[in-house]
Amino acid sequence: MKNWWKILCILLLFYTIIFGFLGPIPELNILEESIRNLYFHVPMWFAMMLMMFVSLVYSILYLNKSKIDFDIKANAFAKAGFLFGMLGIITGSIWARSTWGAWWVFQEVKLNGAAAGLLVYAAYFILRGSFDDEEKKARFAAVYSIFAFCMFMVLINVIPRISNSSLHPGNGGNPGFNSYDLDNDLRLVFYPAVLGWVLLSTWIATLLIRIEKIFRKKHGLDLTK
Amino acid sequence: MQIVSKITYFCNYTIFVLKNIFQLVKREIKLEWRQKTALGSIFIYVIGTCFLIYLTLQGLITIPVWIALFWVLALFTTVNAVSKSFVKDANEQFYYLRFLVSPVEIILSKIIYNALLITLLALVIYAFMFLFFNEKIENDGLFLCTIILGSVGFSNLFTLLSSITARTQNFVLLAILGFPIILPLLLLIVKMSALSNFAIQQKDIYMHLGAISLLNLITIILSIVLFPYIWKD
Repeated sequence: MKNWWKILCILLLFYTIIFGFLGPIPELNILEESIRNLYFHVPMWFAMMLMMFVSLVYSILYLNKSKIDFDIKANAFAKAGFLFGMLGIITGSIWARSTWGAWWVFQEVKLNGAAAGLLVYAAYFILRGSFDDEEKKARFAAVYSIFAFCMFMVLINVIPRISNSSLHPGNGGNPGFNSYDLDNDLRLVFYPAVLGWVLLSTWIATLLIRIEKIFRKKHGLDLTK
Repeated sequence: MQIVSKITYFCNYTIFVLKNIFQLVKREIKLEWRQKTALGSIFIYVIGTCFLIYLTLQGLITIPVWIALFWVLALFTTVNAVSKSFVKDANEQFYYLRFLVSPVEIILSKIIYNALLITLLALVIYAFMFLFFNEKIENDGLFLCTIILGSVGFSNLFTLLSSITARTQNFVLLAILGFPIILPLLLLIVKMSALSNFAIQQKDIYMHLGAISLLNLITIILSIVLFPYIWKD
């Protein structure tokens, strides 16, 4: 059973969707039913950050070992992370509309940081497209991705803490979810949801790697380099 | 005795590297000075854009808008000024330089030279914005300090990125790569400039100065570590 985690992923996501929409939730002011977005919005960001971190690790490995295999993996994980980042922004925007009153809120540094972070990775894909030489492309993309990851972390983790103007729970003097309202009903779905979405993003990344490898084999591109 | 000899060796080596860097910076300045058209064009670009902003805003401006425009202008000027910093070395000179000096010396000299250039350009922008709008930052010394720190930060980031983009034919690439990455620094600098005009707490100033310095330190370490991979070709 090599693929047990894929089956687990499907089961967890079915559980998340069914219990996420039908399960019991605590009574909360303003948030009301929109708290169910917790099972979708927050795990998307966890999945994105994990994917970007794995991409960073493969970029560092590429610079050390110069194997094209690592570059393919770094690219695929960055793509999967980008997808989940987009989903995180969309779900967050929907949530913001119902709780903060607007699709996009300027006072929210995290939101702007996340958007800038996605731009950083969009630039990464553009950079990859502007080289013809395989080896050069891989090397320069790896350098940029290490740079990008550091700045991305500063954008979404350091700046919101310094600037002190955030509407998210746990920032800017707002109480975190843990303190009073992440009760056991929510936890029962939230933790499986995190695992489920992370597994799904990994699955997507592995599929992207396989597609790229098949493409290379078909066109006779060297993989052993 | 062995430790002493090691320390003297290390000191000698450091002095050697510093001398090399100094020579390289001198070479950059000489090369730039020889092509006065290139240098002049960037200054005219700055002055022209300042004048453009002055006329389109019809002389009406507040300090926060002034600061925002100042840094956006500084950023665009930086992109224009730095983009060609590695194009010069893309020919036979590149192999000769690689034979003579280590990549760390190259990147440090380029960063120092670009930082000097950007600081100079930012001061020109400051002078013209002051001339046109008559709005002056309250705490001049602190703003100058912000300009220097900001220029160093811009230089750290854009020098490495321009070394990447110099190998492609895509000319907008530097702006695409640079703008989202510079954002954390830019936000801190704009906040710092606002603080140097008016600060309620002294504590905020120190915190932002510290954060900017730390960010500059991170970017310069990353540049030094990563540049050898770009330079080997």
